Amino acid sequence: MCWRCNQISRRGLLAGGGIAAASLATGAAQARIRPADMQPLIGPGYRPTEKDEQGLWQLMERAEEEIAGSNLLITDPVLTGYLRDIIGSVGGPAAKDFRIYLAHVPEFNAMMFPTGFAVIFSGLLLRMRNEAQLAGVIAHEAGHFLRRHMIRSWRDQRRKTDLFAIGSMLAGIGGAAGGVYVGDYMRLAQLGTILSLFHYSREIEAEADAIGATLMEQAGYPPVEMANIWQQLIGEQEASARYRRKHRDRGYDLFATHPAPESRMADLRADALEVTKPGKAYDDRRARYLDKIGSIRPMMLDDQVKLNDPGASQYLVETLAKDGWNGLLRFYEGEVWRLRNRKDDDVRAAQSYAAAVVYPDAPADAWRWHGISLMKAGRKGEANIAFARYLAMKPEAPDAAWVRQMMS
Amino acid sequence: MSMRTTGLGLVAAASVLLSGCVQTRQYADVQFSPPSGNYKLLVLRPDVTVSSLSTGGMAEPRADWTEQARSAIIAALRSQQASRGGQVQIVERRNSLAGIGDQELAEMERLSAVVSQSIVLHKYLGEYLPTKQGKGLDWTVGQAAINVGQKTGYDYALFLHAEDQVASGGRIALGVLGVAGCFVGFCAPNIGGATQLDYASLVDLKTGEVVWFNVVKASSQVPGIKFGDLRTPQGATQMVDRLLNRMQPGAAIRREQQVKR
Repeated sequence: MCWRCNQISRRGLLAGGGIAAASLATGAAQARIRPADMQPLIGPGYRPTEKDEQGLWQLMERAEEEIAGSNLLITDPVLTGYLRDIIGSVGGPAAKDFRIYLAHVPEFNAMMFPTGFAVIFSGLLLRMRNEAQLAGVIAHEAGHFLRRHMIRSWRDQRRKTDLFAIGSMLAGIGGAAGGVYVGDYMRLAQLGTILSLFHYSREIEAEADAIGATLMEQAGYPPVEMANIWQQLIGEQEASARYRRKHRDRGYDLFATHPAPESRMADLRADALEVTKPGKAYDDRRARYLDKIGSIRPMMLDDQVKLNDPGASQYLVETLAKDGWNGLLRFYEGEVWRLRNRKDDDVRAAQSYAAAVVYPDAPADAWRWHGISLMKAGRKGEANIAFARYLAMKPEAPDAAWVRQMMS
Repeated sequence: MSMRTTGLGLVAAASVLLSGCVQTRQYADVQFSPPSGNYKLLVLRPDVTVSSLSTGGMAEPRADWTEQARSAIIAALRSQQASRGGQVQIVERRNSLAGIGDQELAEMERLSAVVSQSIVLHKYLGEYLPTKQGKGLDWTVGQAAINVGQKTGYDYALFLHAEDQVASGGRIALGVLGVAGCFVGFCAPNIGGATQLDYASLVDLKTGEVVWFNVVKASSQVPGIKFGDLRTPQGATQMVDRLLNRMQPGAAIRREQQVKR
């Protein structure tokens, strides 16, 4: 039920399935699920009444207890309150029942657990350009809960594995009694079971996208922003792959749990068109978003540039800068070059630092690296001015003594 | 039906009776001697899960069975410890222990759980580590455990994990079918029944080290064969007895005892 997960080992499943047989089961193109057809299946204050779902909830309540106490969580009340407000506005009938946790993990993901609590990774907050995009992800996750996806997919999986177990046992016995070896057919049946499990998983993602579009629209966010997230993700993956001279994993194959980004983006655009009401004013609430995440944006950018993925980092900084460059973004642009450290990257980095310090919001470290770059270029007088500015902004800097020595 | 397939069927049917199996293995720090006298023992909230095994082999957690098993295990622990002379407290809720906050206790619990998982993996399930060979039990929960000891005044903490599966009606039927198939030459007598895995670890709260560890694994090849149902008082007592009642001293202590004799 996560935003983009691919932890299931496809190779492992293939090994059991027999690749040749796969070609027989393909080709069924999937029709788009329409937002109008997606109504919430539960109301406020939902509690499970059946044994299987109760068991799942008990397990997940334990999990939440541990997650809620994890030291990976960002517990700043401004941010947690903000996320709670958003899920309160796009959570549909269960809006008051959700809990939402922000984890300090520099990856683009978010997940909803069966009992109605969601975990958002800080890497996701870094990538969202406005509140509408964040609300879109949260609405998608809320959609999983409102459509009861976890228990439905669990039951589907149980039913299919049951049928397969019974089917292969009966086939084996029938075949043996009739003197036929049915092993190959059984392997094919097994692959069919696996494929339909994945199909179910893609279907529920598409359902969550469709209901998410409606929830966004109702809360007054422009629904098209959800499609824009995918455009940004595709761009980032391509930029990352290009730098590493590899092809982006297109995310399209039989065993994908989520729809391929391209088809998902196309469907989301169609969803957005369908739910957008002509003449209604929508607001992406970008200013409020930047204000709320302002306190952790430097930390999130810092995490990102240290992932050693310069292609993606550069793309991200440039994407965020489409809404306007500032000192923080220019500084981290410089950091991407400096840490990449290819030929002439030091010159590029120096230019970025010089550009960063022009802005009033330039972080102290921008002045520090600007100073070092000037020093390397032999411009000691200007370097000292930059260093002095650094020390004024960060008097307790751990390297203050070293900087003073450089200045003397 | 030929003689041969009939024979095969009978062999399979016989093997059904033999296919339940219980294993226990105990590890101790070389210097470990079982607590005796007036020790103070803290039993952390037992980590219990009871699932139902579906026809297709998926383990489905069951809330009511888990609760039944947890209560039965706690009751069994109480009566087992009552006969030992130590002072025992069983922590059923994290905020019920005087002198320490629930998050601090939770941190030790989580750490103990992970350390216990590593011990099971590297001592019992076969992923042996070359650096840990011949060292008895060389694992520690560290400062987190020492903190708990200092703040609460307890000498030892016991961590208990139990997971059990109960074969569903469909799974049992499938097993019966698998045995029946032997008579026509498609023999699948061991599709796998329930598996119970329990372990306990004893942590010395003065040093933070895991001083004693015990694993009980019980499994049956055929669904429907049980070996102590944790949901019942008898099953829980049997499990606690298998897990805790035969605590052996560590290698160095045993050697000393032999020399004295």
